[in-house]
Amino acid sequence: MPREQGRDVEAMRESRPVLVSVNDVSMAYNGAYAVRSASFDLERGRFLTILGPSGSGKTTLLRLIAGFGRATSGEIFINGQPVSAVPPHKRSIGMVFQRLALFPHLTAAENVAFPLKMRRHDATTIAGKVTRFLELVKLGGLGGRRIHELSGGQQQRVAIARALVFEPDLLLLDEPLAALDRKLREDMQLEFRRIQRELGVTTINVTHDQREALVMSDEVIVMDAGKIQQKARPAETYRNPRNAFVANFIGVTGFVEGTATSVSGGLVRMSHGNVELAGIMAGDAAPPRIGQSLVGAIRAEQVRIAADRRQLGGLDTIVTGEIAEAIFEGERIVYEVRVAALGGVILRVFDHDPAEHSQFEPGAHVSLGWNASDVRLYGMD
Amino acid sequence: MTAPRSKSIVLWTFVISVLVLLSAPTIVVIGASFTSGNMIAFPPEGLSLKWYAKIAQATELWDAFLRSLYAAAICTIIAIPAGTLAGIALAKYPIRFATSVQMYLLLPFTIPLIGSGIGLMLVFGEARLLGQLWPVGVAVCVINLPFMIWAVSASAASLDPDLELAAANCGAPPLSTFIHVTIPGVMPGIISGSLLMFILALNEFLVSLLLVDARIVTLPVQIYNSIRSIITPDLAAVSVVFVACAVAAVFLLDRLVGLEIFLKSK
Ligand SMILES: Nc1ncnc2c1ncn2[C@@H]1O[C@H](COP(=O)(O)OP(=O)(O)OP(=O)(O)O)[C@@H](O)[C@H]1O
Ligand SMILES: [Mg+2]
Repeated sequence: MPREQGRDVEAMRESRPVLVSVNDVSMAYNGAYAVRSASFDLERGRFLTILGPSGSGKTTLLRLIAGFGRATSGEIFINGQPVSAVPPHKRSIGMVFQRLALFPHLTAAENVAFPLKMRRHDATTIAGKVTRFLELVKLGGLGGRRIHELSGGQQQRVAIARALVFEPDLLLLDEPLAALDRKLREDMQLEFRRIQRELGVTTINVTHDQREALVMSDEVIVMDAGKIQQKARPAETYRNPRNAFVANFIGVTGFVEGTATSVSGGLVRMSHGNVELAGIMAGDAAPPRIGQSLVGAIRAEQVRIAADRRQLGGLDTIVTGEIAEAIFEGERIVYEVRVAALGGVILRVFDHDPAEHSQFEPGAHVSLGWNASDVRLYGMD
Repeated sequence: MTAPRSKSIVLWTFVISVLVLLSAPTIVVIGASFTSGNMIAFPPEGLSLKWYAKIAQATELWDAFLRSLYAAAICTIIAIPAGTLAGIALAKYPIRFATSVQMYLLLPFTIPLIGSGIGLMLVFGEARLLGQLWPVGVAVCVINLPFMIWAVSASAASLDPDLELAAANCGAPPLSTFIHVTIPGVMPGIISGSLLMFILALNEFLVSLLLVDARIVTLPVQIYNSIRSIITPDLAAVSVVFVACAVAAVFLLDRLVGLEIFLKSK
């Protein structure tokens, strides 16, 4: 069960009451499952990101929590209460939609006032809160503008203020930053984090941007094909991906295949042809049988590259390869190296040293080295 | 660079001839209404406003005009709620008899007006409502309602469905969502649709002819009756006033919702 993942790490942190509990929820559209048996708990005050490729069921799961549509099976609890019979307008949940869904016939301030009007607050309270929340999102003075008179980033802020102004128990964000350019997106990520900390509101964010997930979240859920693949803290997700999908989806990862030859302590040895490899079984997986097929995942930043294997002292696994591609990315160069001895697999390597830039041209013969302790092994079924 | 030029000459000639063709009847009528002679003629013989002065005093014309306004108002008042609800329902919900509804929306173009007019005459005659004015408004509304439904459903179809979810998320129960979000969202459709209904009702001739009697004729029927005896320039002047009303409505439309919205039927 995904929810068992990282339990010990959880226990080390202060524990807080659970706000949202998703219990074995499935959602099918005309028989096709968009979400399958999803289960997780989210504690009050935490920032959770649901990360996954397009079509993995992120929006579907988020909308079920918001109350738009009913799960095919399973139940969602908020504050310990089952909510499947509670209509969306009676759930205290603020949401920022992917396309914002601001009311075009109202001004920015009227948009922010809308949830308060619907809750029948009196005019003075409304005016005060609207001012306060417009200032919180740094839009003081722009309240009188129509939505189409605001820039994309400003509209984003109005949507945030509207979702927060009634101080909901839970904030849902459905990729609200996806449409922004990179610079603005990164600014808004920090902005979200600041506001979330300031108000302490429990938040579920959906994205397919792994960087955003790692930067913003207390916890990350990785989804694929409607299933939760892993739920853990960002660093844990990055360092100990629970399966090959997560390893591939987060970070730049190379995969080598082999057959288990021996198990000693945590270290598993395997061979690919006449190349000896080793690694550590990922997560809480049982040790492999001898002869079992395994796949090892190695991060690009944990592989070192050199013209000669003698320059790779201290690394316990060394292979030779040929540069297939050298990609200049500004602050670093990414080499794609074809390793013939491993069946022609492509391994990617980062080179961050500007002085050494374009040291290798495509076609050059190089040595790659890494440590077996950085290789995560997954059984192939 | 001659090719683009000759192309633009052809294009402009075409555009101008179409414009002339479209506006010719109006120009002729406007010109004829300013004549100082006693016969309707284009170009007019001399210029004067005497025919306008004449129609200003022609009480039977004014009464007919007011009756037309009254019928058009009745038609619009019924069309706004009926057409709005039907248009929204059509655009937003999977309707069981979608094809039949689509057929109904084509009615104004397929059923000859004289056919539906006679049908309505029979219905109202049976109900002993002939000889009154308000049934004319109702009848015109029934016949032209598809235009209103069209305008509203086009507006509703282009409405972001997330807006209503967002309203619910903000705590608005379904009725408040409808009033505060859906209705303002389809307002351009409601305004353009109801202005269209008003103008169509104001201009309606055939149905009025069938449903009214001599005491309560609407303006187009009144004009028609006058033409049968003798065509005098005062009828041209009345037509110009009519055209002016239509132009005013279009101007109003432009000020309220913007013509580009109307043209895209958004
Ligand atoms: N209303 C619907 N009717 C039928 N199928 C749907 C509907 N909404 C979503 N799906 C299907 O459910 C699956 C999950 O969709 P969902 O929108 O949850 O994906 P997502 O993870 O949010 O993707 P993205 O990153 O592209 O937004 C997809 O295969 C999609 O085609
Ligand atoms: Mg989505």
